[in-house]
Formats: sequence, C-alpha cells, structure tokens
Amino acid sequence: MTKDEVQGASEEEQQAQSKKALKKQQKEAEKAAKKAEKQAKLAAEQQSTEEDDFAKDRYGVSAMVQSQQKLDRVLVRVQDLTPEKADQLIWLRARVHTSRAKGKQCFLVLRQQQFNVQALVAVGDRASKQMVKFAANITKDSIQDVELHIERIFVISQAEPRLPLQLEDAVRPDGEGEEEGRATVNQDTKLDNRVIDLRTTTSQAIFRLQSGVCQLFRDTLTKKGFVEIQTPKIISAASEGGANVFTVSYFKTSAYLAQSPQLYKQMCICADFDKVFCVGPVFRAEDSNTHRHLTEFVGLDIELAFNYHYHEVIDSITDTMVQIFKGLRDNFQTEIQTVNKQFPSEPFKFLEPTLRLEYTEAVAMLREAGVEMGDEDDLSTPNEKLLGRLVKEKYDTDFYVLDKYPLAVRPFYTMPDPNNPKYSNSYDMFMRGEEILSGAQRIHDAQLLTERAIHHQIDLEKIKAYIDSFRYGAPPHGGGGIGLERVCMLYLGLHNVRQTSMFPRDPKRLTP
Amino acid sequence: MSMYQVKPICGGDIKIDLPTCMYKLPNIHAQQGNSCTSEHALQNGEVDPAVKALEARQDEIMRKLYELKAAVEGLAKTVTTPDADLDLTVSSSLSSQSVSSTTFKGTTDLDTLLGKDLGALRDIVINANPAQPPLTLLVLHSLLCQRYQVLSTVHVHSSVANVPPQLLSCLGPRHANSYARHMFQLGFTLIWKDVPKLEMKFSVQNMCPIQGEANVARFLFKLLAPYPSDPALATLVDSWVDTAFFQLAEGSTKERAAVLRALNSALGRNPWLAGPEFSLADVACYCCVLQSGSASSAPANVQRWLKSCENLGHFGPAKLLLQ
Repeated sequence: MTKDEVQGASEEEQQAQSKKALKKQQKEAEKAAKKAEKQAKLAAEQQSTEEDDFAKDRYGVSAMVQSQQKLDRVLVRVQDLTPEKADQLIWLRARVHTSRAKGKQCFLVLRQQQFNVQALVAVGDRASKQMVKFAANITKDSIQDVELHIERIFVISQAEPRLPLQLEDAVRPDGEGEEEGRATVNQDTKLDNRVIDLRTTTSQAIFRLQSGVCQLFRDTLTKKGFVEIQTPKIISAASEGGANVFTVSYFKTSAYLAQSPQLYKQMCICADFDKVFCVGPVFRAEDSNTHRHLTEFVGLDIELAFNYHYHEVIDSITDTMVQIFKGLRDNFQTEIQTVNKQFPSEPFKFLEPTLRLEYTEAVAMLREAGVEMGDEDDLSTPNEKLLGRLVKEKYDTDFYVLDKYPLAVRPFYTMPDPNNPKYSNSYDMFMRGEEILSGAQRIHDAQLLTERAIHHQIDLEKIKAYIDSFRYGAPPHGGGGIGLERVCMLYLGLHNVRQTSMFPRDPKRLTP
Repeated sequence: MSMYQVKPICGGDIKIDLPTCMYKLPNIHAQQGNSCTSEHALQNGEVDPAVKALEARQDEIMRKLYELKAAVEGLAKTVTTPDADLDLTVSSSLSSQSVSSTTFKGTTDLDTLLGKDLGALRDIVINANPAQPPLTLLVLHSLLCQRYQVLSTVHVHSSVANVPPQLLSCLGPRHANSYARHMFQLGFTLIWKDVPKLEMKFSVQNMCPIQGEANVARFLFKLLAPYPSDPALATLVDSWVDTAFFQLAEGSTKERAAVLRALNSALGRNPWLAGPEFSLADVACYCCVLQSGSASSAPANVQRWLKSCENLGHFGPAKLLLQ
C-alpha cells in the first residue's frame, strides 16, 4: 500500500469513527429521552397508586425497639406452628430467609433458628399492592406443614442489602455445590463472618448438641458423687512441658496460662475431695495448624481416687462417656440429622461396657496389617487411624480404650506397671480412630515421683510445689481429660474442629 | 414364832437296796454342793465343753452320712449315663472346680487352628441378636473354659436399646484376673447387637466373618476336639448339626415331630447321636430341642438321652438362660 492509500484509509476510518461517534451520540440521546419518559411515567404511576394504598398502617419499618412500651403480646415460635393453630391470628417474629414476588403475591420464607415457615402476602382486602412491594423489598435476614397469610408486616431490625455470605450457600453440602455449579462458602469466610454463619441450621444444631454434651457430662458425674471444682488459669509454672505455654505479664513478673488443670485436680484429691471434675478453658501454645488442634479449647477433666486398681478409674470414665453417648443418641436425633444433611457421616457406634484392649494386642493387630513397629514405640497418627479402622471392623465400635502404654512414651508422673517395668498404668481413649483422652494412674508418692522426674531430666526446682503436695499423704488416684470441641467433632463425624468451636482460636486466628 | 416339835415316826437311817442291773449316775443334787464353778458356768449361759464335743461329733457323723448319700446318688446316675467317668454335677458342688478334660479325647493345637501366636490375647468376637440367644455357643463356651484359660466378656452394642440382665451374665461371673488380658490364652467376646444373622469375627486380615450359629459352633468345637477321623461319622455329626438348626429350630411342628422321631430311632441304637462318643451333634440337638420347647413331649429314648446330657454337667448355662 502507498502512503496516500494509507492516509486515505485512516481518513476513512476517522470519518467512519466520526460517523460512528455521531451514531453513538444519537443513540445515547434516544436512550436518555426514553429514560426520561419512563421516569415520568413511573412518577405518574406512583402518584396514582399512592392514592389507593388502604393498608398503609399495616406495614412499614418499625421504630427501633428502645423499650418504649411493655406490650403483653405473645409471640408464637415458628416451631410451634402446627395445624391445630389454623385460622388463628398470631404474632410472630422471625428472620426473612428469602422473599419472592410474583405480580400480586409475595412469598416469604421466615426462619427462626432451625425452623422455617412459608408466608404469603397477597393483594386482597387486607393487603395492598404497596404492601406486597414492600414485602418483596425487605432485605434478607432483616428481623412448615403450615403457611402464614400475612395481615401486617413490620421490619423490626433491618440488615444491610449485601450480606457477606448467603445462608443457603453456607448450608450447602460440598459435593452438591461442585456438581450443580452452585456456590459453597469457604471455611475462612465462614469464620470471618461468624455471626452470620452461626445462624445456619447446621451451626445451630452443632452447638445445641455441644451444649448437650456439657450438660450430660455434668449430670452423669454429679449423679456419681463427683464435685465440680474451678481451677486457676493463671499459674506460676508450666504444668505439662515448658515449650507450649502462653506467657502473660503479671504486675512486675510474668505468669503462664494453664495448659491443663492437672496439678490442681490432683491437689484437690490430696485435699480429700475424692472425686472431682472441672469444665474450663485450656490454653496450648502449639504451633500446629491441623484439623484437630486449637490454641484455646474447653477441657472437661476428671480426677478420682480409687481403692485398689486403676481400672476403677477407667470404668468410671468410660461409663461417663457411654452415658453421654446414650443421652445424645436418645435426645438429640433432630440435631444429628440436621448436621448430617450438610455433612453426611456414619452414625456413632459404641459398646457397653466399653471395649478395652491392651497395647500388646494393638501392636499385634497393626503388625498383622503390615505395619512395622517396635514393642515400645508410640503410635503415630496414621497408625492410630489404621488401628481405629481395624477395631471398627472387628468389634464394630467407634469408641474404645487402649490400656497399658509403654512407660517410655508417657509423662514423668505416670505410675509404672508393677509386674512389667516396660509398661505403665496408663491409657488412651479413641473416638473414630482419633485420640480424645490421655490418662493414667498418677504417682502419689513423693519419693517415686522425684526419681521419675530425675529420670526424665526435669528440673526439680520448677516442680517443687507439685512434688510437695504429695508429701502429706495422698490417696492413689488417676483421671483424664477430654476436649469438648474434639469430642463433638468426632461424634458427628465432622472433619475440622473449628466447626465445633464457636469462635475458634488457632495460631493464625485471633478474631472474632 | 417357833412351832411345836413332833417326835420322828420312823428312824433316821433307812437302808434302801438299790438294783445293780442298771448303770449308776452320779447324784445331780449332791453335785450342787461340791463344785461351785461349774454352777457359775451353767448360770452364765456357757455351754459345757462336754456338750460341745458331743455336738461336734454329731455334726461330723451327719456330714459323713450326707457325703455318702451324695456319692451313692452319683454312682446311680453314672450307671444310667453312658460314657461318664464321674458325675460332674455333684462332684463340682463338693470339691472345687477341677479341670476335667476327659470329656473329649483327642488333641488340638491353638496355633494351627488360630494362626501364629502374636504375643497378645487371641480374641474371638461373636455378634448375636438378643432376640435369639445362641445356646449352643454358651455350652461350647463353658467347655472351652474347662480346657483353656478364657477371658469372657459381654458387651451391648449401641444398636440395641437394652438387654435383659440374664443375657448380660450368661457367660458366668467375671474372672478375678480379667484386668490383665495378656494372662489368658483365648478371649471370648459376646456382643449383643441388632444383627440379622449371628456372626463371628476373629482375624480381620486373614479370615472372613463366619455366619450362622451352626457354623460358628463347628469352628468353636474344633478348638476342643477334632472331628471324628472316620469320614462317615464326621458326616453324620454334620448332618445332625444341620438337622438341629434347620428343622428343629426353624421348622414347622410337623418337621420338628419328624426330627424327634428320627432322634428316637437313632438313640435306640446308640447311647449318643454319633455313635459311642459325645459329640457336637449332641450339643446342637440338645440345645435346639430345649429351645423349641418340645423337651417334655419327646419320646422315651430322647428323654433318656436328654437326662444323660444334663448329667454331664455342661448344659447348665443353657438351662439357666431358658428359665
């Protein structure tokens, strides 16, 4: 092409462009004109419809409830809406889960904790078109067998129009989301917006079940004659090991947050309380970012004195656990089914009395399955899971006790086996192949305790107070502690302990 | 106030001729004046040591009499029961439990049957439905306990709401050493569970589960004694076991009556079902006859055979459960 031609082409282009620009301008002008027309029309319409609004006082945004009046009005709960209440006029307060308008009708789904009900606002002699429009525009989440026909509708507390996550997405099971291309919500997003995530039916069910576990724990132990104690959480010396403690500044010195109530439980036994339990937070500064570790969790701890054999302690603890499982099985089926809808899992199975295997049997079972391990080796996490599967296959139980651990892998205060110095009077309890409790008969003799501490190369000065508490006559005792969140997670078959912790704390998360 | 005196009518000393044909007793009244200590003893309520010795001798004689009576009864039972050297029901009540392995002849080796010993308890797990308790297995369990050191435990699975107490104690009282599992040769774990069919699990890696009470009974019996080496006899045992579990336990009344007649004719020829020796066939048939409730209406030979089975003393747990 010659320069002239090029110039010509570009000129043409320019001309074309300017033509295009003209056209564009024209189009925009047309659009603007149309818009103005529409707006005028709308304005005209609105004016006309406003005149016809006879239901004006039966809907709207309520003034903020600042305790202006004390009404004796009874608000019916959504779960109590049964066919028997048909044709009654009731007041109800719930969240707007979804709203869908279609012409003269608007369908709303009203949600209250785990329960939903469908409601209908239809243009008729009770409701006007404006009321239907208002109902359709209520932002979501603002304040069953049965359907409600709405006569009056007021917004008590408005929500912002854009929610950070949609509740249906939060409740959708992961598999379904992938299949149908619908959204599911990431765990981190859920945890960042915990207040909204906790409104889902699944979360409500999980935490009601957790409350049940705590309640059953307290009730069972109180019936057995245990006393509930509260132990201090700000302590002067690390109880389990030096590395995993949080330090707090304590006036002019520093103190630690308790890793476990172990020391104080034992002191209560030496103080003749015989059987104690305590429910309280436990702080572990472990930099483990796993599915089952938290830096702060609720510990349910038991300690009791026994007469002749530490199996009395095991029997007491396993009986408590079995009573908890039975209570959950019999009274919380609705909650378990709700959780199963989003997180399907096998129901939890157990034996009564609880199955107790010895460590040698476990090693034999693992060796039979092809694992190579020494007699005194500790069980690694994958081996624990494999053992859980083997036990499940043979005995069909998700909960069992492993007794007589090797002495070398247990802490210094564990009582050695009287007949075989390689083993100890200690035990672990497993749920679905994961460890939930580590316990033992504690050494109650100051002399033996000192020897064992020296053997483990522990600085005696640091644990002087601990050893001193056994110098004035201590009964033989033992116990153990479970983590509430971990037990709930394993009972329901969930995969991450953060789902069962209301506001979880881990090395990367400090809020909400 | 003093009274007037009368002169004595007869003399003070009268001589009485006492007869000498009877034995003489010391004068009781004279004794009172002599020894005050024994008077004190009697008045305090203590028993005279002579009386005590007499009572002891009497007790001893009575005890010996009872023992003699029991021994004679035992002998009587032995005479009517074929193949019993000693009446186990009576002897066990008199003396402490003695391990009698004379019931079954033939040697068995746990290692060949159950696989290499891995240094830990070998636990046999049986899942049974509490609606149909397996009597045969309870009987075999008590036989196993006589032969080996067995750790027996009973569990209730979470699929079952609750279980009557006699099913919880059907394996007998807890062994004193049950806290130390490694001290036992064999474990017998019975789990009451909502299963459609009874099943047994032993080694998850090497063995598939065994289903059905008859098959589990055959497995457990092999731990006690081998099957008869004669194949015809072994087949006979097997066929009786099957008859027991299929026709007696689950059959209609007509089938059961037919089986009872077959039992009658078989027992007319031999003391036990499979010939001269007690075998698994007898265990199985006895339990099924008892469970089907036709024990009282059975023909004569069968009744005699039922009594002989009971005299062997192994069927105690089964009878207890049916009560």
